[in-house]
Amino acid sequence: MSEYKYDYYADKKLKERDGHHHDHGDHTHDHDHDDHAPVTEHDDGPPSEYEIMSRAMQELLEEKGVVTAEQVRRRMEVFEEDFPYRGSKLVARAWTDPAFKQRLLDDGKAACAEMGIDLEADRLIAVENTPEVHNVVVCTLCSCYPRALLGMPPTWYKSRNYRSRVVFEPRAVLKEFGTELPDSVTVRVHDSNADMRYVVIPMRPQGTEGWSDEQLEDILTRDTLVGVTVPRVATS
Amino acid sequence: MSGTYPNQGPQDIGGVEAGPVDTLDHGMKFWERQANSLRSVLQRNKIMRTDELRRAAEDLGPRYSQLAYFEITTSALRTVLLEKGLITEDELKAKMDEVRARFNVPDEMESPLKKGAAR
Repeated sequence: MSEYKYDYYADKKLKERDGHHHDHGDHTHDHDHDDHAPVTEHDDGPPSEYEIMSRAMQELLEEKGVVTAEQVRRRMEVFEEDFPYRGSKLVARAWTDPAFKQRLLDDGKAACAEMGIDLEADRLIAVENTPEVHNVVVCTLCSCYPRALLGMPPTWYKSRNYRSRVVFEPRAVLKEFGTELPDSVTVRVHDSNADMRYVVIPMRPQGTEGWSDEQLEDILTRDTLVGVTVPRVATS
Repeated sequence: MSGTYPNQGPQDIGGVEAGPVDTLDHGMKFWERQANSLRSVLQRNKIMRTDELRRAAEDLGPRYSQLAYFEITTSALRTVLLEKGLITEDELKAKMDEVRARFNVPDEMESPLKKGAAR
């Protein structure tokens, strides 16, 4: 180790380098959703000019009292440890409570508020998959995404290829995610924007009767709520 | 399927032919997570809005398609902060020099953080 990056988060990094286990305070990770973004604590290689610019802007804004380091740290925690698990809870409830599902379909933002979820966007539109219709969500212009329900969008959601193609050849794109739909199923693509976000309510698979909320949440993965995959029940 | 029209922005790519989707999630680097959080806090503190940042990103023109996602958002944040007079070019340049220098501290050099972590 000839060079060590001395920075803001040096303390954490040093602990890792020295083999201390890094934990998140009193938070325990009892989630095992496998399609949430992998998280790395530090970056390899020298920082890019953009990283330096970003850090510099944050420090200037802290010095000027526009933001505090604590606000940024807290927000990062919420983004990583709370947001990614809300969507599956919301939709699991819609699966088990028909009246709630109807309220979610009628007014997504109000249904979220019922569960104590404050969305960042003005509107949430829940779209329900049926045997006749499959829904998939994109933001062709950028990366609008129900972050308060699903966390940060995965790399592919922000990618040029997904944004470009899913609107005109959704079946081909879904196939790349391993999702093949019969020709009889209509595929609807929903293009999000800054004020309006979408979440898919997938069809509840057979064989999940009597399942607990936690079991249902486990199969309601991020990708199923964006609509690129459908929930599956492992056949043993 | 693809077509162009007058004043089409660099962000307007829905319907354009493109290659296969890399369906793996490559996650985010630490600074990207931090940058996202900073953006979110600025919006919550009512310092700026999504549409202001998007306009600044879309104004990047041809550079837009050459930059990675968080390079675009970082450039956009810089533009909006300068426009609003919250920071100046000179301040940013000086602070970037300071941050850059901090990354280049040789291992031998003493620092309180390193001392604190020594076993």
